[in-house]
Amino acid sequence: MQFEWTEEQDAFRRKIRDFLHGSLPDDWEKFSEHGPASPALTAFARTFCVKLAEVGLLFPHWPQEMGGEGLGPWEQQILSEEMWIAGEPRGGQYMNVNWIGPTLEKYGTPAQKARYLEPITRGESLWCQGFSEPDAGSDLASLRTRAVLKDGNYVINGQKIWTSYAGLADTCFLLTRTSDDHKKGITIVLVPMDTPGITVRQIPSLIGEGDVHEVFLDDVTVPETARFGEEGQAWEIVAYSLRNERLGIPRFTLARAALDRAVMMLKERGDFTREHVRIEAARCAALCEAAGTANYAVVQKRVDGLAIGAESSSARYATVMAERAVCEFVVEFLPEALAGASPYLKMHHQRGIVAGVAAGSAEIQLNIIASDVLELPREPR
Amino acid sequence: MQLGLNEDQRQVLDFVEALARPFASAPLHDAGLALESEELDVALVENGFLDVMAVEELGPVTAALVVEKLARLPFAVEAAASALVRPLIDPELPRPLCLVEEGRISAPLRFLRPGATVVVVGSSGVRSFTASADLIAPAQEDTLYAYPVAFLTGLPEAMTAHDADPAEVTRAWRVAMAAEAAGLLGAALASVVTYVSERKQFGRPLATFQAMRHRLAEAQVVTNSVYWLAMRAAVSGDSADAAMALLHAQEAAKRVCYDYHQFLGGMGMTLEHPLHLWTYRLKLLTAELGGRGAQGLAAAEALWG
Repeated sequence: MQFEWTEEQDAFRRKIRDFLHGSLPDDWEKFSEHGPASPALTAFARTFCVKLAEVGLLFPHWPQEMGGEGLGPWEQQILSEEMWIAGEPRGGQYMNVNWIGPTLEKYGTPAQKARYLEPITRGESLWCQGFSEPDAGSDLASLRTRAVLKDGNYVINGQKIWTSYAGLADTCFLLTRTSDDHKKGITIVLVPMDTPGITVRQIPSLIGEGDVHEVFLDDVTVPETARFGEEGQAWEIVAYSLRNERLGIPRFTLARAALDRAVMMLKERGDFTREHVRIEAARCAALCEAAGTANYAVVQKRVDGLAIGAESSSARYATVMAERAVCEFVVEFLPEALAGASPYLKMHHQRGIVAGVAAGSAEIQLNIIASDVLELPREPR
Repeated sequence: MQLGLNEDQRQVLDFVEALARPFASAPLHDAGLALESEELDVALVENGFLDVMAVEELGPVTAALVVEKLARLPFAVEAAASALVRPLIDPELPRPLCLVEEGRISAPLRFLRPGATVVVVGSSGVRSFTASADLIAPAQEDTLYAYPVAFLTGLPEAMTAHDADPAEVTRAWRVAMAAEAAGLLGAALASVVTYVSERKQFGRPLATFQAMRHRLAEAQVVTNSVYWLAMRAAVSGDSADAAMALLHAQEAAKRVCYDYHQFLGGMGMTLEHPLHLWTYRLKLLTAELGGRGAQGLAAAEALWG
């Protein structure tokens, strides 16, 4: 058991840092106050990701047959960490390289691969994920957006909500219902966002401009060839995608970086001598490190080629605890940070409060831990 | 990064497990809360399981793994200080080892008895003496801890000074306590999970009620991370890691002990159920080395100066 990075991994991290240092503008920190899904950051990402692709840092973790370098899960983790600490200059394109690309490769038709993979590898495309609906949040399998096959086309009607990046995305990875057979009645359709009948409305939010949307689909018509996988295969495909993305964003790294920044600011003004502040800061640091080690234990399973189970929910929940503690620490001891004194800490706060909601709520993670880690008898349904 | 166990570590843990198997269930006991077994202690010593840290290919992380595993037993064993701290002071010091902070000698000392080695750690350095009966005052007979405890009545005039860095010994002490807490937390959680999965009310197991499921799931999250922080601190030898590991362990202990007894209802108030054998050790560990606040201050100092 050892917790050090290898020399090669350290060098890989340095390469990313050097690239970020050389390619992010001087006012980046202020700029990154724009949320990851904002028009400003999305536009920035379109040039930034092209440069990332040029230096081989857009998808180095992909297998060689997909054009990657075949680096392992640890390198993917390092890449994600460095990008997220820097405020995620890839914007929504992180999804492309983490799970959309690998999922296209595994389940896409030759035509779908030809159409969608190349723009991803050039750093030029943006996807959104049409999953949640007004009445299907944590209970995703109850979704009702309907796709009806008619004369070789799917005609889609329904509504999605909380869709990140929808306002600017090129394509939607859309979950639709093609039969009433619960999970087995869900089908994925890849829908170009400029298809007539799609209306996107931005929802003003606490987490930054342009981050979440409602998407209305009124007689949206796409050819049958836009179906991804078979009818009713969505649940299996999404489970596969999530295996690639189970841990999600390495939020604990930004939480820890934000904590260090807050401590630095407190020291500068002579406030880091008070014992209760120091104890609380240490508590936050321990929670961040706890989340980090729990996440790494899951990455280790990927490295070993083992199936990742509910322990990823445990790691996710540890991350939520860390995010919450750091957000609260900053508000309590550096309230001015959210009112202009620190764009970085404001950026962290806006992203941090999402940790327990995005990509499966914290309560759902607890349900999974209870059933599948602790193996408690199931709740009656 | 390599978070798995190597072959040597797996083998050591398998041996420990086999040796500990006869001691895995708690006999009914009514004389005080603490349960000890001389037979188990002797077996551990004879097989060298408390000396694995000095073996090059095993090292401190294996010692921490052994301590974590032994803490899961219903029997209290003085393993943590011997396995993880003693090698830094003098591997020949007679057991049990009782670590005490200079200036805090009035604390209840775990495993203190005539013949035990008391190690006093503080700004004057690292000093030790063999406890004699006249320096020991017994704790109340029905004392509320599941460790055997006693008090020092004073320090002897002469102590052996050791060539060891008190900061380094304190660091190892934190790792030792975090590893012990990790095992106690794991065993206490498992014990509660078994009970609430079997006990039925309103026609269904208690564990099917979400009020309980979520709190137990949160307990799993912190228990899991106490384990990882303890192991990382053992491997890295870093003082910030050690302070954070014990801080997190003491936070976790405080968080779960009350809940666990609550979940067992009336059964959680009895000595018939073994839960107290882990939780009433954890309770005393929350006071170790000055408690959470002291660990927090130490971690802050190591992290940010």
